[in-house]
Amino acid sequence: MLALRMALESPLVEVEAVEAMEFPDLSERFQVRGVPQTTINQGAGTVVGAMPEEDLLLEIEQALAV
Amino acid sequence: MPEKLLNDSIIQQVRSVFQKLREPVGLIFFGTESGCEYCADTRQLLDELVALSDKLSLTSYDLEREAEIARRYRVDKAPAIVITGRDGEQSVDYGMRFYGIPAGHEFSALIQALVLVSEGDSGLQQETRQFLGELTQPVHLQVFSTPT
Repeated sequence: MLALRMALESPLVEVEAVEAMEFPDLSERFQVRGVPQTTINQGAGTVVGAMPEEDLLLEIEQALAV
Repeated sequence: MPEKLLNDSIIQQVRSVFQKLREPVGLIFFGTESGCEYCADTRQLLDELVALSDKLSLTSYDLEREAEIARRYRVDKAPAIVITGRDGEQSVDYGMRFYGIPAGHEFSALIQALVLVSEGDSGLQQETRQFLGELTQPVHLQVFSTPT
């Protein structure tokens, strides 16, 4: 999983792989409708579906600029 | 004796993947006795998994009884799996957490994460490594998925 590779690469990156059905409150909080969904910094960014490395990078960049 | 969770075919495949493991990897499980539908099964699955390689070790804690340890690992729900690597004598927390029983896609992701940590290389492109190396703020990614 791309996110986990990023967690290995940087001490500033933390990743939670969450099984949505077991944690309905959390899934609802971040409005998880389609999976996989990647929520960045408590909703500063959201991506649905798998995506290439460069795209996730862009999303993270944008989320940090928020 | 509870029935095995991992069938023989999975065991064979996983054992073969685990041949690649070099550096030891630690798994830390957090469970809770009440109100956790999948805690017992997750714990059993991890016991079976860790038995497939001598490079893997498992430590288990109770989320409530050992709340201090849970706090230290920033774990607030169960079942939770933390993956740690080793740097000499030290255990290294890479900020990887699995919440929920690792079934389906999550199971593959867990296996891959163990190999990744053991190898110690992210396999990311140079540009990505550079971007991550220049981060000045924390990045918290929550990846939601379902077993099927």
